[in-house]
Amino acid sequence: MTTCKDCKRFFPLEDNPEKGDCVERIVDPRQAYYKSKPVNAGNDAVSCSSFQKK
Amino acid sequence: MAKAAIADRSVKEFEEKQEWWWAAEKKRSSRLDYLRKAIWKKGAIGGLYAPGVKVDLERPVLQTQKARALEFSPDPYVIKFAKMIAHILDNKTIFITDNAQLVGYTGSLPHTIAWDPSLGSFLNEEVYNDPTAIPDPAEKSQQIIRDVNNYWIGKSDLDKMIPVFDMEDLGKMLSGSIGWGVPIARGGYSSKDYEYIMTGKRAYQAIIDELNQKIDEADEQTHAPGATTETSKIYDKINNWEAMKITLEAGIRVAKRYARLARIIAEHFEEDSNRREELLRVAESCEQVPAYPPRTLQESFQYDIFIQMMSRTEAVEGAWPARPDYYHGPYYDKDVNIKKNLTKEEAIDLVGEFLIRAAEVCQFKPKFAREGLQGIDGTWVWTIGGVDKEGRDACNDLTVALMQAARLVRVANPTFGFRWHPRVKDEVMREIFECLRQGLGYPNIRHDPVLIANSMHWYGHPIEEARLWCNQACLSPCPPTKHGFQPMRMANATANCAKIIEYVMTGGYDPVVNMQVGAETGDVTSFTDFEQFFEAWTTQMKTIFSILVRAVNRARTLAPNLTPRPFLSAISERSIESGMDTLTPSLERGNAWVTAFTWVENIDSLAAVKKLVFEDKKYTMAELKNALEKNWEGHEQMRLDFVKNAPKWGNDDDYVDDIMVRCLKTAAKFSKELKCPSGNNWPILPENVSGNIHYANIVGALPNGRRLGDALYDGGISPGPGLDKKGPTAVLKSCGKINHITDGRAFLLNQRLSPTQLAGEKGYQLWRAYMRTWADLELDHIQFNVVDDSTLRAAQKDPEKYQEVIVRVAGYSAHFVDISRKTQDNIIQRTVQGL
Amino acid sequence: MKCTECGHNAPLESFRYLYNARIDASISIRQCTNCEEWLAVDELKGVVTQKIAQGEAPWGKSAGIEGLASD
Repeated sequence: MTTCKDCKRFFPLEDNPEKGDCVERIVDPRQAYYKSKPVNAGNDAVSCSSFQKK
Repeated sequence: MAKAAIADRSVKEFEEKQEWWWAAEKKRSSRLDYLRKAIWKKGAIGGLYAPGVKVDLERPVLQTQKARALEFSPDPYVIKFAKMIAHILDNKTIFITDNAQLVGYTGSLPHTIAWDPSLGSFLNEEVYNDPTAIPDPAEKSQQIIRDVNNYWIGKSDLDKMIPVFDMEDLGKMLSGSIGWGVPIARGGYSSKDYEYIMTGKRAYQAIIDELNQKIDEADEQTHAPGATTETSKIYDKINNWEAMKITLEAGIRVAKRYARLARIIAEHFEEDSNRREELLRVAESCEQVPAYPPRTLQESFQYDIFIQMMSRTEAVEGAWPARPDYYHGPYYDKDVNIKKNLTKEEAIDLVGEFLIRAAEVCQFKPKFAREGLQGIDGTWVWTIGGVDKEGRDACNDLTVALMQAARLVRVANPTFGFRWHPRVKDEVMREIFECLRQGLGYPNIRHDPVLIANSMHWYGHPIEEARLWCNQACLSPCPPTKHGFQPMRMANATANCAKIIEYVMTGGYDPVVNMQVGAETGDVTSFTDFEQFFEAWTTQMKTIFSILVRAVNRARTLAPNLTPRPFLSAISERSIESGMDTLTPSLERGNAWVTAFTWVENIDSLAAVKKLVFEDKKYTMAELKNALEKNWEGHEQMRLDFVKNAPKWGNDDDYVDDIMVRCLKTAAKFSKELKCPSGNNWPILPENVSGNIHYANIVGALPNGRRLGDALYDGGISPGPGLDKKGPTAVLKSCGKINHITDGRAFLLNQRLSPTQLAGEKGYQLWRAYMRTWADLELDHIQFNVVDDSTLRAAQKDPEKYQEVIVRVAGYSAHFVDISRKTQDNIIQRTVQGL
Repeated sequence: MKCTECGHNAPLESFRYLYNARIDASISIRQCTNCEEWLAVDELKGVVTQKIAQGEAPWGKSAGIEGLASD
């Protein structure tokens, strides 16, 4: 199964690699920014539209 | 305007044409320009949010998820609530905008509006029924909203409160005719104990350490031999301290998440070496604050933003009490003047960004609030200038930098209230003047000696605390001190005062909402003299104020248990010390006030009735009553008589000015009979926000000649638009007949000046002379619009071209194009005073 | 009163009253119930003086001290 751990956007926590952040660059009509959302390394990423294989 | 057209013209050309917004765009740094244009405008236009701005569904889902998980937990509510806050902060999406040096936002993404589903089901229903703000795909979002809403029915603050209110009072209040807002302690204006949290002596970690010690000591006490009445209170204190700790620890964790994101961007994505360095500074900053006290200006601003972000995660705050130059000024001085870590230009970039971070903050509010605050999310009237605890001039380099940065970023929110006192230096006055001349509409100017005395008179704040005041909302000073700060001022103690005179005419029956709201003062046609009429006015005034105040008092009394504020408590010395929630009335000295919307209509109406009905006997009361019932339809000549042939407030005419003073003194006397749960007074504060427009279709026809549908006067003690015919000094003299210390809490005065007349040094000297008269007459407030008719009419015609024109509405500023046509016309028709 | 835009003819009070921004002026804004246009109305004479478009100033310039209100 494809999981968050396999994604380029996943950045594991140093002290707990099973958890991490999904970091993504967004360009909206007014500004560009990076967003981050906590995720588990083992989360199912099959249907994730942002997934990018490492 | 097309980019090329801006590039082709010089700053000087724009300034000569008084197109200050284009001049600002050319003058500010590329960073500030980017960040300013990056703002998603969150203020509602005509009660609706702007296209592209969407309700944030992440927080309500997280909160509901946690609430469900905790539903059967044995934790007391305060701890459950603290855990919900922590869960939101730990799991929300965070972001860092390109070029930003400061981070932190109430929502999850820049275009989102934060929505707290635990405040009231009525608010949640508004979210569900607001198709313009629901994110796409709408069907999926509505399903989420339905699920959230269903959970909070019966569990939200207001749902819990309603059954324990007096239903008659509540019905009258929620009719929307006399009051504003709802009585809940997590929605309104929260002052803060800045003397505890913002002076660099401590930050979250030090407080956590103190809380641990308190909990350990209390735990020991509960297990020591013996049991007293005090022992049984300790368990509640331990719970409160635990809850405070949970929120502070979550605050440190969320800051570290920002630090981590900044490092990830720097190390994995950013190619520009300068930006990489900046991101690493952002990371260091978020690792330092809010855990530890700030070391630099950047950290000081960052610390403030984190505090505000957390407070706005815990509650919906409609104001932003702040004194930025006083609390951040020492860091500016250290970085710019002493250590020279920052150039003035770099500092201005940070100051400008600090204003921008505040400008973008937004929380979903009910439609009545959005209509009352056209174009902005809340009244962020930051307080600058003034004196320190010892009474010395507190203006510093940051006071000036804030005004300079404001002219560059030209946000309509936050704005500034400047505390004037006789020792303010000329260079600072020139900065104020420049902001006004460039059409910002702010700072408003406050008379510090008067307001310090006023705070001492009404609440007994000691002079050292009174001197530290900052605006709790638009105009009301509050000391940010241990026992002085008021943790919540609920907006529903806002009286629609035009109803006082309307109810005199109708015997308390409200023809708009079709219910008896006011007192039954009898048939007005049976009154034989003005004294009887005034007695009925007094009864209606007392009745309306009492209904509103009783509801707030009830809510404040219940708040510590039903709707606690663990984070606000955690940054309040009195709660750390006592273990009691900061909303506990006995911990506070009291700083309550009744905002008196639509006040001056009473004065002009009373004068007109006195003169034309009782003295000249030109019309009978029955004729007047009949004309008002018909909304003056078919009585235009008579209406004009009541407008033009009766004295009007603002013309230095004792006939009507004496009525104003009498009304205020009558209200002031009653203010001392009304008591807040802390045992202190409820003085009145005439001002309007933009309630004069909101109430246009709620207030019926009045004896001053106004019809149902017309905007009310722009508020406070400002004369009716176009009715102040004797010039600016006459306006000041009328206002000077009021005792601004003992007759009420504060009095808003709008004045409009001619930009042509204010040009150059001569303009400045004219304005200074005018301000000397204002100061000598001891008025507590004044604010100015300095925009000409032609610009405003052109902005109506071509709003795209004039997006950045700012006007002072009432207690706040807004971009002209973001307010309704009726409000725009109301502002244009205000008298232009020649100095 | 007759609507200058669609010719709708009805008593003045049947035109929807919207507002008057200058209480001391006899000009109000009303809406024609037929074509829904916003109209400036002279309340004393009972006639439409103009159709209201963006930027129109039915009440004329702002009040103010003589010679200074022109800007």
